[in-house]
Amino acid sequence: MTSTTINGRPLPLPDDPDALLIDVIRDGGLTGTKLVCGSGVCGACTVLLDGTPVVSCLLPAQAAAGKSLTTIEGVGAAGLHPVQKAFMAHDALQCGFCTPGFVVEAAAFHDGWRATKGAATPSREEIAAALSGHLCRCGAYEGIFRAVAEACSGRFDGNEPIAPRLEARDKVTGLARYTVDVHHDGQLEGVILRAHVAHARITGLDLAPARAIAGVAAVVPLLDDDNMVRFVGAPIAAVAAKDRRTALQAIAAISFKPEPLPAVIGLDAARRDDAPVVFEKKDRKRAGNVSEGAGGAPVSWKGNVRGPSAPFSQKAKRAKSWLDEARQQRNPLLVEETFRVSTQQHASLEPHAAVARFDGDQLIVHISTQAIHESMEKIAKRYGLPHDKVRVIADHVGGGFGSKGSVGLETIAAIELARAAKAPVRVAFDREEELSVTGYRPAAELKLSLLPSAEGRLKALSLTAHADTGAAVNSLIAGLARLIYPAEAKELVDFDVLSNLPPGAPFRGPGGPPMSFALEQAVDEAALRMKVDPIQLRKLWDPDPNRQRLYDWAAGLDVWKSRKPAASQTGRYRRGVGVATGYWLYLWQTGSSVELAIKGGRIVASCAVQDIGTGTRSVIANTVAKAFDLEPHDVDVRIGRSSLPRGPGSGGSRVTASLVPPTLLAIDKLKAEIRRTASRTPAPGSNAPWREMIAASPDIAVSAKRQEDGKPPPGVRPALHEAGIMGRVFGWVLRLMSHMVVGAGVPSSVQVMEVEVDTWLGHVRVLNAYTGLAVGKLAAPALARSQAAGAVIQGIGYALYESRETDPSSGHILSGSMEDYRIPGIADMPKLDVHFDEAGFEHVPGGSVGIGEVATVPTSPAIANAIRDAIGVRLTEIPFRPDRLVAALKGRDAA
Amino acid sequence: MSVAVITANPTPEFRAGGTDFSERRRSGVSQGMLIDISTSGDKTISWGADGAARIGALATIATIATDARILAAYPGIAASAQGLATPQVRNVATLGGNLAQRSRCWYFRRADIDCLKKGGSTCPARSGNHLYGVAFDLGPCIAPHPSTMAAALLAYDATITTDRRSGLTISGLLGDGSVAHADHTLAAGEMIKNIALPAPLEGERASYKRAISRTYAEWPLVELCARVVIAGGKFQLVRLAAGGVAPVPLRLTAVEVQLSGKLANAASIAEAAKAASSGAKPLPMTAYKLDLLQGLVRDVLERLSD
Repeated sequence: MTSTTINGRPLPLPDDPDALLIDVIRDGGLTGTKLVCGSGVCGACTVLLDGTPVVSCLLPAQAAAGKSLTTIEGVGAAGLHPVQKAFMAHDALQCGFCTPGFVVEAAAFHDGWRATKGAATPSREEIAAALSGHLCRCGAYEGIFRAVAEACSGRFDGNEPIAPRLEARDKVTGLARYTVDVHHDGQLEGVILRAHVAHARITGLDLAPARAIAGVAAVVPLLDDDNMVRFVGAPIAAVAAKDRRTALQAIAAISFKPEPLPAVIGLDAARRDDAPVVFEKKDRKRAGNVSEGAGGAPVSWKGNVRGPSAPFSQKAKRAKSWLDEARQQRNPLLVEETFRVSTQQHASLEPHAAVARFDGDQLIVHISTQAIHESMEKIAKRYGLPHDKVRVIADHVGGGFGSKGSVGLETIAAIELARAAKAPVRVAFDREEELSVTGYRPAAELKLSLLPSAEGRLKALSLTAHADTGAAVNSLIAGLARLIYPAEAKELVDFDVLSNLPPGAPFRGPGGPPMSFALEQAVDEAALRMKVDPIQLRKLWDPDPNRQRLYDWAAGLDVWKSRKPAASQTGRYRRGVGVATGYWLYLWQTGSSVELAIKGGRIVASCAVQDIGTGTRSVIANTVAKAFDLEPHDVDVRIGRSSLPRGPGSGGSRVTASLVPPTLLAIDKLKAEIRRTASRTPAPGSNAPWREMIAASPDIAVSAKRQEDGKPPPGVRPALHEAGIMGRVFGWVLRLMSHMVVGAGVPSSVQVMEVEVDTWLGHVRVLNAYTGLAVGKLAAPALARSQAAGAVIQGIGYALYESRETDPSSGHILSGSMEDYRIPGIADMPKLDVHFDEAGFEHVPGGSVGIGEVATVPTSPAIANAIRDAIGVRLTEIPFRPDRLVAALKGRDAA
Repeated sequence: MSVAVITANPTPEFRAGGTDFSERRRSGVSQGMLIDISTSGDKTISWGADGAARIGALATIATIATDARILAAYPGIAASAQGLATPQVRNVATLGGNLAQRSRCWYFRRADIDCLKKGGSTCPARSGNHLYGVAFDLGPCIAPHPSTMAAALLAYDATITTDRRSGLTISGLLGDGSVAHADHTLAAGEMIKNIALPAPLEGERASYKRAISRTYAEWPLVELCARVVIAGGKFQLVRLAAGGVAPVPLRLTAVEVQLSGKLANAASIAEAAKAASSGAKPLPMTAYKLDLLQGLVRDVLERLSD
């Protein structure tokens, strides 16, 4: 047997030539090293082999024989490495799942740099090249650039800095424990058998051969009671075994007969009259849901096309007739275009994962989830257990973006396997599962007509969206165009087009980016035809007070004022500047509760909420600390446990607005309680009276529930009120069914993008991004900036790179690896200017609303408008890949 | 995704750095016997008196990318090595492994889809989604050859020695693209030992670039390694080897011929670049690669003419 040295300690290596280094490292208990892509693309598993960065997911374990390995746990083991301190100080992380890999690589780069260049500062380009083998889905690149540059220049050689993110230290040292890292004694590994065909009835499912394999502890069926599979990757059964390899052997041994049925793949094929039908009438309730919250009114459904759904239309007939008339009259101001957006995968770096364990009559489930409290309720309901017999735990969550909002198959499989095996079971999806069957933002075709009036106002708008929802329903894209740019009439129609593809899911501002992609380009086009400044036209058409202020900010940017007309550019590289607007609903969750306690002289804040990288811990800690003149790190924040007071789900940008107000109420109660129970008052003239009183206080606890907002000033109203009575109905349904309230005031974003187009190689680079945001007061300013930056880079991915690719006949997802599903890297991050306008939400206790979704809505149309400005051609289909750019340029030259 | 897997390929495979092999092993595409050669082969770079290099098959891509003498003598080889994969992969991936790696076709890479390269009878990409397929349709398989180094070595007239054959050109090693089931002509159990480069020419310059959608770390849509000798303002030699467009790396001889003796300026380059698609047979989804190829010819040759 050979061995290696890992962080200075000997570690025997397995003889198995197929053993990979990452498994040896993680099985040895060093779980800071993360497995993400499994193909050497993302760098999350990076370790140092004799000081050289390598990807442990591809490296044979034997390659480390006789060598020295350093993992994240070994970096800075004798005191934090300067890179770790810099990452903490610059908030160069969000969910933290990619952070160990980045830190290991950056530390090696730093050490090499310092050895040869002293304390010189590396350029952005040098840092980007060095870290080009790493991907971050949250988009923490801006902070990473700053952190690496400053660490190299020696700024972090000294003491440990104060991190704006409460859990930053655990994330930069690899100590933060995610669901995939949980390991109980006797824990088994669960794997799911999935369909290879897009549409079939499964008969003769025989699990016995799998059960007969040594090391297999449980096999459970997962087919729905109609025994159908409706997409490649649909679950059939699950196995729990002593290790993954045995579990894989066992699922291969399961036998069944698929009776193949005709399948139909994708938006265009599924709309044909003769297309095979995915859901017969009796099976329609089995379809998934691509929206947050419950569905609205009943909608007609014929074949694979569900719709029209048009609750937010306004004088639709009039809109139609005005548009027909304009068409007949060849009105030059009439803008008509068909846009297409592609399917965007969430691509969270931590896969969907659950570890289930029964302890007596207690069910304990670690889940990588965006909703611990709701998951607990749903699990309890599903298995007929009282709430106090189910505990859901999520200490750290490696990204979600909407895909981890409900109780998923990984959780159900883990629970059922654990029950059958009478042992703890972990189910963690592999990357291909993650990039195919865990949901996505549906692709869509968007037909838009926009008509300005002779007086230059917005007269009529028509938007019809057909969404490529796979085995799911409930897309809302076109309807969202009602809540911005009031017009005399609007026809807004949504259709779901179902096909034999995996079901879509909510994704960061569901429906928002596609709607904005079409509408914001149409408004831009109208401005061009009307020969008015696109920002001034938006000022005229969009009365929202928050956005009015953002338009003034955008109009004042130098980059906007110094735009050059496209016609003046003739060289290979062309530059352009574009603007776009986005909004999202201000949502909060009723019943959200926070407990504040004093335990052993320290403040403890508790809530059954989770932190998916957005900074929930810090938002709570900052709010409490400010009220007591403390530092955030003086507050212990307990979250991630469903047994704590009920908290909101991390979706709909609702966490901050749900938790800051009850925290403020609890603060008042706690102050009163401290005063009441104090045995003595602080010395007169004390610099820190609260700190002294807290330290001296007996153990006490108070709690508070989310209160209603105050009365908003005139003109400030919920976004839904733009949609008249139907908007109010929608709001009531949301409150009743999903406990979500649409509050007054509209979170808004105006973005300006400067791009450079390489007309020879079809390459688009975003050089500079300016994002203006009105989301109220910032509860955690550094983290809000991280969210804003991450939203922009995710929007850049949507606009330029990301596209799920499928086989058009078999329905296989071909882009199931991170080399084929392309998320942005650090070198794709533009220089960023973030502007926060903190007014507009004074009626909300604390004045803060969510940022996560609104910040990504306008990015793709702003880039589209910038490309139009650069090359004089409007591209109507994203992503704007090189193949599409060269085709568009050819079309222009041919014209 | 965990799926029942295809019929095992019984051919034993060599593993050098493992960066291609391990991924196919994890997905179940590779199931045969494995022979690890990572510690038994030649990883040195040796130099002849004439200034010609011989590179051991196990030399890492990072070594080739940063070796000072390679950088000076064969800048196109070094630049190609710098341009491929990620820093961590380059640190362990080897030159021999880069040449012998398997196709990146997304049908080939899925264990639950049969294809020509897995011994099947049809190419699912041809009738399916071949966005990243070839633009020179030379054979039944329409996946471009994945080796960036092969294109660079083609531009340099490198020869390969295996444990059974010597003096193999890149064409000899990789074939002409007409054999569907393999990515190279190596027999079962035949191993690449080293790669010999001819001595550099007097005054030659070289460059490499790939067209991709992001900035880094992406398989090339199209890539180009170019060598030129310019004297008296005119092209004395032009060597262009393109990857990403055909089942094997391609010499762009029509462009080379057209530029020979021409003034090394933007106008003559732009004119000759149009010949880059000479002989091309694009697929329904791959015509864009010809535009990119033309753009790359202009980009790389203009930089070399400065």
